[in-house]
Amino acid sequence: MTPLMEFRNVSKEYKTGERTFYALKDASFTIEAGEMVVILGPSGAGKSTLLNLLGGMDSASSGSILFEGEDLTSYSDNQLTQYRAKNVGVVFQFYNLIPTLTAYENVALMKDLEGGKSFAGKKKDADQEEHMNPAEALAAVGLAEHMHQFPSQLSGGEQQRTSIARAIAKNPKLLLCDEPTGALDTETGREVLCLLQRMSREKKRTVIMVTHNSFFADIADKVIRVKNGGIREVTLNDHPKDADEVSW
Amino acid sequence: MLKRKVLRDLRQNLTQFMAIFLMSLLGMWIYGGMDAESTGALRVAERFYQEYNLADLWVMGGGFSNEEVRTVAALPEVISAERRLATSGELVLGADMKEADGDETENIPMQLYFLSGYSANRFEVMEGEDYVPDTDGVWLDRFVARKQHLSIGDTVRFKVDGKTVNSVLKGIVRTPELVYYSDSTDITAEYGDFGYAFLSASAYPTADAMVYNQIVVDTLKSDVDDQKPMKAAITAALDRDNIVVSDRSQTQAYQTFQSEMAQHKSMGALFSVVFLLIAVLGIVTTMTRLTSNQRTQIGTLKALGFSKGVITRHYVSYGFILSLAGSLAGMYIGAMTLPRIIYPAFEGGYELPALTAHLSVGPYVAVVISVAVSTMVSFLSCRKELADPPAVTLRPAAPKKIKHSAFEKSQAWLSMSFASQWNVRDMLRNKARTIMGVIGVSGCTMLMVCAFGCSDSTYALVDWMYGELMTSEYKITLSEKADYITAVDYAGKYKGQLLQESSVEIYAGDSSKTGSLTVLDTGNYMHYQDDGLHKIKLDETGVTLSYKMAQNLGVHQGDFIKWHIVGEDEWETTRITQIYRDPMTPGITMTRGVFEGLNHKFAPTSILTNVAVDGTLTEDENIQAVLNVAQMKADFSKNMEGMNMMITMMVTSAVILGIVVLYNLGVLSFVEKTREIATLKVLGFQSRRVRAILQAQNIGITLMGILAGLPFGYGLLILMCGTMSDDMDLVPIVGLQSYLISIGGTFLVSVGVNFLLSGKVKTIDMVDALKGVE
Repeated sequence: MTPLMEFRNVSKEYKTGERTFYALKDASFTIEAGEMVVILGPSGAGKSTLLNLLGGMDSASSGSILFEGEDLTSYSDNQLTQYRAKNVGVVFQFYNLIPTLTAYENVALMKDLEGGKSFAGKKKDADQEEHMNPAEALAAVGLAEHMHQFPSQLSGGEQQRTSIARAIAKNPKLLLCDEPTGALDTETGREVLCLLQRMSREKKRTVIMVTHNSFFADIADKVIRVKNGGIREVTLNDHPKDADEVSW
Repeated sequence: MLKRKVLRDLRQNLTQFMAIFLMSLLGMWIYGGMDAESTGALRVAERFYQEYNLADLWVMGGGFSNEEVRTVAALPEVISAERRLATSGELVLGADMKEADGDETENIPMQLYFLSGYSANRFEVMEGEDYVPDTDGVWLDRFVARKQHLSIGDTVRFKVDGKTVNSVLKGIVRTPELVYYSDSTDITAEYGDFGYAFLSASAYPTADAMVYNQIVVDTLKSDVDDQKPMKAAITAALDRDNIVVSDRSQTQAYQTFQSEMAQHKSMGALFSVVFLLIAVLGIVTTMTRLTSNQRTQIGTLKALGFSKGVITRHYVSYGFILSLAGSLAGMYIGAMTLPRIIYPAFEGGYELPALTAHLSVGPYVAVVISVAVSTMVSFLSCRKELADPPAVTLRPAAPKKIKHSAFEKSQAWLSMSFASQWNVRDMLRNKARTIMGVIGVSGCTMLMVCAFGCSDSTYALVDWMYGELMTSEYKITLSEKADYITAVDYAGKYKGQLLQESSVEIYAGDSSKTGSLTVLDTGNYMHYQDDGLHKIKLDETGVTLSYKMAQNLGVHQGDFIKWHIVGEDEWETTRITQIYRDPMTPGITMTRGVFEGLNHKFAPTSILTNVAVDGTLTEDENIQAVLNVAQMKADFSKNMEGMNMMITMMVTSAVILGIVVLYNLGVLSFVEKTREIATLKVLGFQSRRVRAILQAQNIGITLMGILAGLPFGYGLLILMCGTMSDDMDLVPIVGLQSYLISIGGTFLVSVGVNFLLSGKVKTIDMVDALKGVE
């Protein structure tokens, strides 16, 4: 079966004058549909670069990035935007909610992307799922009571759950999470992890989480360890732990 | 949802966006208002001209015969041609008519028209019966009728050409031919003290021997600019040299009104450009700041799958919405309000039917241009944040490279206080904000300087004319009855200087202009200045030309001009031997010697004197009027209503501009320095001291703005003086007092804004501000 995502010798380099710096070098791995993947590594290892490339938010300098067999590295800016709109949900470390919109409105923002509204003339793909109702998405993350509050009125955990609701509202094939618990206390962070694990297990979503916290490796189906811009190892977890069993 | 974000962002950044909205509104308020006022007035005037068939051409000269009239009437494209006599006279007032202070009134100088026909130049009868040619009666202008309490059926007595005419008042009228009229001795119109009347030719005392000096012509072409061929055809058809063919643009009434309306339009355009430029500047700084502050939001939207186009349109819509709303609101509010303020001032200035405002297409075009420019500027301001891929935009922007400026290496820097150093660095690092502040304040000062300068220049004009150039205290105007001997007698009695003043038509190449001829006999009451305003002696060897006339004709000293006196045969071709400045009467001047050298007979029309002249002198049939210069100057300010209103408008605009810009920048500066201010408070600086530091920056910007605004204000005044009038030679002057008032006024605005902003420092919660970034 074609993996959902495949990296083949992907590199990302930055040139400053004569010197070349590799944020990622010759990375190769696959990700299957429905997997919960943790990308682990210390600061500066290349985790965020990997996440950006997975999400089509940046372009590789060399190599191939295949999504359902299609090479994203040949995509134009417009095609990458469409790829993100249709297939990718992103959860950020600092939530990145629009401060002047309520929780409901932040999630409802995704409705503007439904049916290709964000780019003129495009029609929805046949296999693309309908977007979730914003209230439904917020209820799924336990925020039904707070949906009409602005981000400034919500706690960190509530804001992150809003961010998750926004990400899952468009039923993306890929849910990318960049240090989702980084700005949260332990208890709240655990709640968020449980939510993400539920998305993966119950909704069969592919969840890819970037973190420097090695404890999170236990809950993943696959762990990709990154160091100094390279893939150190890719390990599979036959018996991933439940998120509420993890402590750090 | 993005639309909702726009509205909420607008509310959150209300001060900055309100500033843009207000500037767009003010700019179009002025432009729309002045356009609606002038366009509306022009339309009413045009309808008035059409309804009462204002003539297209006037042929002036001596003694037109019936045959000549028929010749003109027979020309192709001529609808009608009728002759008439236009002459000066007086309305004789009865002994029982007194002025309010009990003094006996003087006779009223009048322009009398004895008509042979009534196709063109008809008049609107406001009371009484319609005019019928060849019937008895007089149709009198309504201001004179009102002032002298004359009613239909009263007998009115005129003195004309040494004879008396009694006539029954049959109609009280106004005419499109004379929407503006003044006695040649008046600077401005004095309706009621000088007037006009229409009578039939048969009412003239010696009707059989009457000399018709005008033919009024109605042509198929209604456009003033299309009359040149017709004028040439008439000149050729009549085949004599001593005629002048004038179109509407060469008549005092039409030309004065048209040029004032043009002046209003150009003033409106000039001012609105200042405001709209400030609005555009506001958009640049606000949108750059907004997209920079919302960098993470932009990156997030990109990451979520919003296309560059959608995000661009989202941010561009801010500038679009604000400029569209502001411009449209300004245009409509201006069209509804400004005419209502300005039209009442027309009452005393022009004799027109009720005025109604009307917007031309110009303001709509201006709205489109303003919105297009604002939208484009928004787009350019946002481009930087939108260009990069989401991964780059999601990262914080690289901090600006900070390096010490050259000034920081100087000794002066070391001797400055902490507050001053902080402010200078802040201003240098936020150049856009600083420049915007300086431009806004300089706009405020500029408008004030220009406003007061207009007043100074106009008063200076009067002082210049009747103080520097003409130094007599009285000017006696002789009637047509007075012959040369009589004139000389009076000149001897009053130790006066004789002057001849006539109308001339001047040709130079393709241009022709009607102007004045002044011939000077010996005396010291007239003085002259060159185009650099240096005193000169009038050249006594040839014909000299006024500076404004030279500009209008496109000629210079040494060029040749062709001219003749209206009503006389002799055409002269003479070289311009000198150019002199004359504020009010463009034309040619020469000494009696030169005049007689050209085989003309010197026929004095006035006497200049410093010997006190009794007002009762006008009872003498040889004297038409006596001008008391001191009295005239004192009365002048009464006619400044229109000017004063314009000055009030300009100063109000200046104050609004200053307040909006300084408050906006004060808030911006405050918001951007919240953490720094919080840090200072944590370190122990009292709110009062922090406030003083912020206010010092505002004062600094105000000082720079004032310094820039003073010369720009003078520049704007020069532009305005240039558009004021074709005939008036207005020298832009700003008195020291006006400069000081402008400086003081701008400072007052700055201090006022500082006061408004002063409360904000206390409101900063130190903990919130410093922890906010976590």
